[in-house]
Amino acid sequence: MIRKSLLFLLSMALITSCQSKKAKWSEDNLDVPDSLELAADVQISEEALDEIVQNVSSPIEMAALIKEIGTPFSIDYLATTDYVDRYNTSFQMAYILGVFGADLGYLNIYDKNTQIVDYITSINKLADGIKVGQFFDFSTMKRLATSRENIDSLMYISVNSFNNMDSYLRDNQRGHLSALMITGIWVEGMYLATQVAKENSDPALFNRIGEQKLNMNNLFLILNAYESQKQVQDLIEILNRIKVEFDQVEITYEMGEPETVEQDGMIMIVQNEKSIVHITEKQMESIIRITEEVRNKLIES
Amino acid sequence: MVRISILILIGLLTVFPGNITAQTAEEMVDLCAGKIGDDATYLKDFQVKLGVAVEGRPPVARYPLVLSSNNIYRFSICDMEDSEGKAVIKLYDNNRLIFSSYAEDTSEEFNPFNFMCRKTGIYHVFISFLDGKPGEAVGILSYVNKK
Repeated sequence: MIRKSLLFLLSMALITSCQSKKAKWSEDNLDVPDSLELAADVQISEEALDEIVQNVSSPIEMAALIKEIGTPFSIDYLATTDYVDRYNTSFQMAYILGVFGADLGYLNIYDKNTQIVDYITSINKLADGIKVGQFFDFSTMKRLATSRENIDSLMYISVNSFNNMDSYLRDNQRGHLSALMITGIWVEGMYLATQVAKENSDPALFNRIGEQKLNMNNLFLILNAYESQKQVQDLIEILNRIKVEFDQVEITYEMGEPETVEQDGMIMIVQNEKSIVHITEKQMESIIRITEEVRNKLIES
Repeated sequence: MVRISILILIGLLTVFPGNITAQTAEEMVDLCAGKIGDDATYLKDFQVKLGVAVEGRPPVARYPLVLSSNNIYRFSICDMEDSEGKAVIKLYDNNRLIFSSYAEDTSEEFNPFNFMCRKTGIYHVFISFLDGKPGEAVGILSYVNKK
């Protein structure tokens, strides 16, 4: 009886340990000293910060819009993965992880499987570097990318992996790395959009860029929580150049009652309250130019 | 010796119980995200575990999110297999209810439902269980691809 109980408990323990995300997990991975020091640096409550962090929109939406307005794919927009080994501090790795995450979203939207392999390889390195590699299902993603099968699954696993890495960092007092990753995603998404806007003055794209004023403000709230760190302070200073431009952009609202319609057998609520972005050509030119300078400076530093 | 082994194994189980739940929730996310439809792309999930109603007030999980104008979003909800309660997902703009996946007056269910956003801003997703029952569920936010 005792032997049976032992066997049962042993199998339960094995199942439990196997269920932790992936085999990469080890006790060493849990040893991240900088996180503990930083817990005390957060200026606002974790709960409030959590609420803000959820408020930065997905890079997929920006990439989808770029494709929807008929922009042809261009590898030139993307940050190169050639120098991934140069990023060796957790600060750099978390930021670049975000940059490559946004680029991966763009590649996924355009179904560019060949290039995806380069990016997931680099993302895997960086994720391991900041000890969140257990949430990045590299082997499955590589298999899906190389077999050119089921692009929807590849997109799902990519987005889900980033969500899980972000949640894990925030839940484990490493919110500063989550903040950097989110910043990288946002800056690269802005860069992609503004590079396209150089050639294509589509009103939907201009609106979406102008609306980034809201995300930018959220981003500053997140980063300000960690401003006691010199590197975050420097990052805020650099990003402030874009913020100054966005401060000139005006967003107004038009009231309206929502309507409920049925489309393809599904209920759809159509919002009639609208946000209207007021952005001049000159303001857009400045945002495009400064975003390019800021993005290039950050990936080179 | 046997007693020590049992204690060690019990200790192991005590240290890792969260992984069982986390894995189950993760499986549920995969399953629920697989049902969003071919025309949608997964963006975010909301994993909820709520207790029984206290003094007639059912607990509610609340999540803020930014939605962008001129996008169509899909909201869906899936109950965990062993969940006692039936989950409802509601979308709010400030304190105003935009839509609920369950109409209490007609008992009709609208899961999933789409939302055509025309105002970029912060919205809130509320998830609760009917009749104040406890339960576990996964909500999914997805982006509906334009045709």
